[in-house]
Amino acid sequence: MDGDRIQDLTFVNSSVDEISHLALDIGGSLIKMVYFSTNREKPIDKTQNNSSKDNLLSGRLYFLKFETSKINECLDFISSKLLHYRGVQQYGFPASDQNTIKATGGGAFKFADLFKEKLGISLDKVEEMGSLVSGANFLLKSVSSEAFTYVNSQRNYVQIDHNDLYPYLLVNIGSGVSMIKVDGDGKFERVSGTSVGGGTFWGLGKLLTKCKSFDDLLVMSHQGNNRVIDMLVGDIYGGMDYLKIGLSSTAIASSFGKAVSENKELEEYKPEDMARSLLRMISNNIGQIAYLNALRFGLKKIFFGGFFIRGHAYTMDTISVAVDFWSKGEAKAMFLRHEGFLGALGAFTNYQRVEEFPCTASLTGDDNQNPLVEDLNDNGTIECCVRSIN
Amino acid sequence: MDGLKEDQSEIEHINNINGDTKSITEKEDSEKEMAPPVGNSIHRSSSRPQLDLSGAAIQGNFEERDPTILLPNQSDDISHLALDIGGSLIKLVYFSRHEDRAVNDKRKLSTKERFGVTNGNRRSFPILGGRLHFVKFETSKINECLEFIHSKQLHRGDDDNAVIKATGGGAYKFADLFKEKLGVVIDKEDEMNCLVAGANFLLKAIRHEAFTHKEGHKEFVQIDHNDLYPYLLVNIGSGVSLIKVDGDGKFQRVSGTNVGGGTYWGLGRLLTKCKSFDELLELSQKGDNSSVDMLVGDIYGGLDYSKIGLSASTIASSFGKAISENKEIEDYRPEDISLSLLRMISYNIGQISYLTALQLGIKRIFFGGFFIRGHAYTMDTISFAIQFWSKGDAQAMFLRHEGFLGALGAFMSYEKHGLDDLMVHHLVERFPMGAPYTGGKIHGPPLGDLNEKISWMEKFIRKGIKITAPVPMASPRTTGLGGFEAPSSKGDTLRCDESNLNVGVLHLVPSLEVFPLLADPKTYEPNTIDLAEPNELEYWFTVLSEHIPDLVEKAVASEGGTDDARRRGNAFARAFSAHLARLMEEPAAYGKLGLANLLELREECLREFNFFDAYSTIKQRENEASLAVLPDLLLELDSMSEEARLLTLIEGVLAANIFDWGSRACVDLYHKGTIIEIYRMSRKKMQRPWRVDDFDAFKERMGFGDKKPCFRHKRALLFVDNSGADVVLGMLPLARELLRCGTEVVLVANSLPALNDVTAMELPEIVAEAAKHCDILRGAAEAGGLIMDAMINTQDNPSEKLSSTPLMVVENGCGSPCIDLRQVSSELAAVAKDADLVILEGMGRALHTNYNARFKCDALKLAMVKNQRLAEKLIKGNIYDCVCRYEPAT
Repeated sequence: MDGDRIQDLTFVNSSVDEISHLALDIGGSLIKMVYFSTNREKPIDKTQNNSSKDNLLSGRLYFLKFETSKINECLDFISSKLLHYRGVQQYGFPASDQNTIKATGGGAFKFADLFKEKLGISLDKVEEMGSLVSGANFLLKSVSSEAFTYVNSQRNYVQIDHNDLYPYLLVNIGSGVSMIKVDGDGKFERVSGTSVGGGTFWGLGKLLTKCKSFDDLLVMSHQGNNRVIDMLVGDIYGGMDYLKIGLSSTAIASSFGKAVSENKELEEYKPEDMARSLLRMISNNIGQIAYLNALRFGLKKIFFGGFFIRGHAYTMDTISVAVDFWSKGEAKAMFLRHEGFLGALGAFTNYQRVEEFPCTASLTGDDNQNPLVEDLNDNGTIECCVRSIN
Repeated sequence: MDGLKEDQSEIEHINNINGDTKSITEKEDSEKEMAPPVGNSIHRSSSRPQLDLSGAAIQGNFEERDPTILLPNQSDDISHLALDIGGSLIKLVYFSRHEDRAVNDKRKLSTKERFGVTNGNRRSFPILGGRLHFVKFETSKINECLEFIHSKQLHRGDDDNAVIKATGGGAYKFADLFKEKLGVVIDKEDEMNCLVAGANFLLKAIRHEAFTHKEGHKEFVQIDHNDLYPYLLVNIGSGVSLIKVDGDGKFQRVSGTNVGGGTYWGLGRLLTKCKSFDELLELSQKGDNSSVDMLVGDIYGGLDYSKIGLSASTIASSFGKAISENKEIEDYRPEDISLSLLRMISYNIGQISYLTALQLGIKRIFFGGFFIRGHAYTMDTISFAIQFWSKGDAQAMFLRHEGFLGALGAFMSYEKHGLDDLMVHHLVERFPMGAPYTGGKIHGPPLGDLNEKISWMEKFIRKGIKITAPVPMASPRTTGLGGFEAPSSKGDTLRCDESNLNVGVLHLVPSLEVFPLLADPKTYEPNTIDLAEPNELEYWFTVLSEHIPDLVEKAVASEGGTDDARRRGNAFARAFSAHLARLMEEPAAYGKLGLANLLELREECLREFNFFDAYSTIKQRENEASLAVLPDLLLELDSMSEEARLLTLIEGVLAANIFDWGSRACVDLYHKGTIIEIYRMSRKKMQRPWRVDDFDAFKERMGFGDKKPCFRHKRALLFVDNSGADVVLGMLPLARELLRCGTEVVLVANSLPALNDVTAMELPEIVAEAAKHCDILRGAAEAGGLIMDAMINTQDNPSEKLSSTPLMVVENGCGSPCIDLRQVSSELAAVAKDADLVILEGMGRALHTNYNARFKCDALKLAMVKNQRLAEKLIKGNIYDCVCRYEPAT
């Protein structure tokens, strides 16, 4: 499914790049990949100003995704890059690193044998929650213009105060949803979660609409009208608001609640309407449970990540409204540009040399002229350096 | 989260119980309709005819005394009706009071006069006796509901401008229909108000209302009325409302979710083509969600992700497996889809409820609403979610009457329903025993009369565990639920139909009171044997089942052995056997089950088939035989010293207690001798020490020890057991001795017949007969007003009459061989106030119940154990062992 790969893949295919530090997050539905590639256009020693002993490699982080069900595409990709990968050796990476890849997610366990068999590569398993947290911490501390709120279809980037980042609630929406209270680097606890997540949207959506891809389903939802299928407060109270409890007549009383009463079959509903209803149901539910958990632990900041969101405006809007509603405006949902790659990034930072590197200095991305901000569907590349040992 | 007042328009919120399904216009421009907010639009109508409390003297404690079965078209005396009209079901609650037959027997009048329990006093009861019925109809068959209301004339009050309280979406939708068909105005009540009022009523008024549900096992929870608030009420209708309840009328909707019953049904219908909610639930029984849901094991290759406490079977993503490319909707089993949906929604509701309760610091969470329907898997899933997320700190509780919260609340909204001051002890829940309905959630045409009921029972066949005939609603006289409906198959541990919990008719008996001499009414538990233990349950079911044929014989004989009586007897046997089988399957079917309840169900069942006193012939014969030998016994007693006499009297009580038709062993014995033979043989075998023998302590208390001058009890309450020798040769002589000592004696007997137990109605006659041969008894009976023509008889010795200590008879308020002292007649409660000695006699009242009860006054429990198992269990003894347990006042 090439359509799912992000656009800068073309950079990767250019043969001049050296790729290294490849890390994977193999989830239930998607495989997320992050790797580092040197940028030949920049002098290697440019950033070597504060280190006399080590070499710093300057380059970019690249982000890719594959469907887990098509893991062979992923294997083929890695296989095709293996030659380049081995080329990294010239920079002094220990030989032991050549045949291992940092990986997280359930698939790191499930597919370990497959990687060994097909590529001769061992997966070095990195704990999943830890990876998500490391990835999020890395992004929030190192990449400016990473977090943003989404209000009235408008992205507003949030300046993160590194000294006042913790604690926060990280809501990772993958196939399922994990809610993690983060207190610092490596200090976190999974406090909640729900099985109603991206997999539910896709799975139920596929059953209801016969839609072929997650993204198509998202696009369809944008064109739908959930009032056809959801039971609204107004449907029950004859168009009157049920003001006494603060419910407007357009509030959803029961998702899919209208499907019970009409003599309409599945085929008679527009797929767009069902997709819309489903998306609202799931987004709102996640927003509500996230808010309740934030409240429980007194957390002011809630970051949403994971592949369910995909920068999809309506999804972000629904989650934002849910958090806003339940918190009476006191809490704001925040989203991450690299939302889908938290786990993979976390696994990436698990490489020793990356970890050692002071995050704040490791990035060379230009804050003001980041060309990636404008492309909403692009997770972008991140310029960074890794340390190599001679 | 107070005041969800901001209009955050696009968020869901849940509300409503059963959403009205009316399709709306696309324009939801509510602004145009300048209708006032729902909550304010309700005006309190004062035009509703109110119950006339004047002259509401309640004569009997149980209206069952009236042997006629009311015809279905016969209107009830006075009624109140309230409705909850939801999208799928109409719930109807109505209150009826039947005309009592005036039971102005002279005993009662005299007793009332003596203790001041006059009609004038009765009128001060804050509530009116009657029955609260619970009935359901399908909304799609609203005409059946209208017909039902019309046939019972429930909409008629004193005047023609009738108003009916109603809630639920349909209260708006069908208002015109009600006006047109019945000429009544629907007075719409606020939905939340109703839910809360209904839940508060149930939690306060019904002893075994709330229960937990874990792994298919129900456990009733004792609610402390002083520690009920605050609680979280989660009402799962089409959507879900979470309501924090702080007291009567004090509540706030704090949260909700739009993922509720409507979502389950709506999505389920689209995905499975099911035709009904129940069908969808039924499907889930056979489902395996792992084919649709992505489990933790699917992601981790079968490994548990134990680090975060997730097992391999935990659902990581609901429907997450349905993303598979090569499978279409047709490739998934509808059963699996239904189960996956059910788990997703139940679990989600549980999670949000727990988080909300946590946030508010609330410990108790009650779940209600149509989504639950007593469905075991749903309750288990919600319970599991609460348990999981709270790490065991919180538990989900469910309500037996969960479907009726709204209707009950609407009922409570009548200004003068008179139920505000209702106490738990005023309510007796009765289950229709005439038809062992198993599926009856929807009301069907009622069985018109007893004959129809019997005919139905004759057709009723049990094949294995399936009932193959439709289950009708039993007579409207006692039934609240029922309907012609093919019951769903049973046998799975987790059943789908809601019938596994029955909702009976609530009998409001304002004259019932808590027995004032209980040391601690709060911790009092009548039942000695815990039937929660499966062995115990099975044993008693076997005992009761084996006793049925003998009981039927007696019952048929008591009605003259006619063909009609035979038919009724057989129908009773079928019905009662079916109830027993049902209870074996679901012990919680009628609330918390104790032996006392079980024995009472049997009596109820007999009464429903018009056997009002199966043992009447036997009782009379034995009374006569015993009275014939009484004079000799009294002569024998009078020849003894006081001290020897007391022992002989207690021996006599224990010996005479062998005459018990409830005991299988004793029934066999009767065929082998005459009453006096058995009595004498039995007494001769009384060798002390008895198995439980506190006689010496009792004797000392009675003034035969070192303490002088001897102590005299002021008033003794003697709870009598069987007719015949038991009461005549056992208890009466003991009563006589107490009277001789100057202690007033009150004989406490059943209000209604149960087995061969003597009733309060029969006692005066027995006493009068005995008094013919005994001056002490005569004088006491006259003083107690039991002998009404006393003036004539005692003219020759007026001085004796004046000095006599009175002997009285009061009814206990029960129709069971056991007694639950939390609910006794007001007469008994009144006489108990001056009593300082309680004597409980017989297995039912002294062993099966109350063996462990403690009293504020001296208490003596006397019984012969006529059951080997009970003997082993309770006193580590054998059959025919005796119990003489004396406990001084605590």
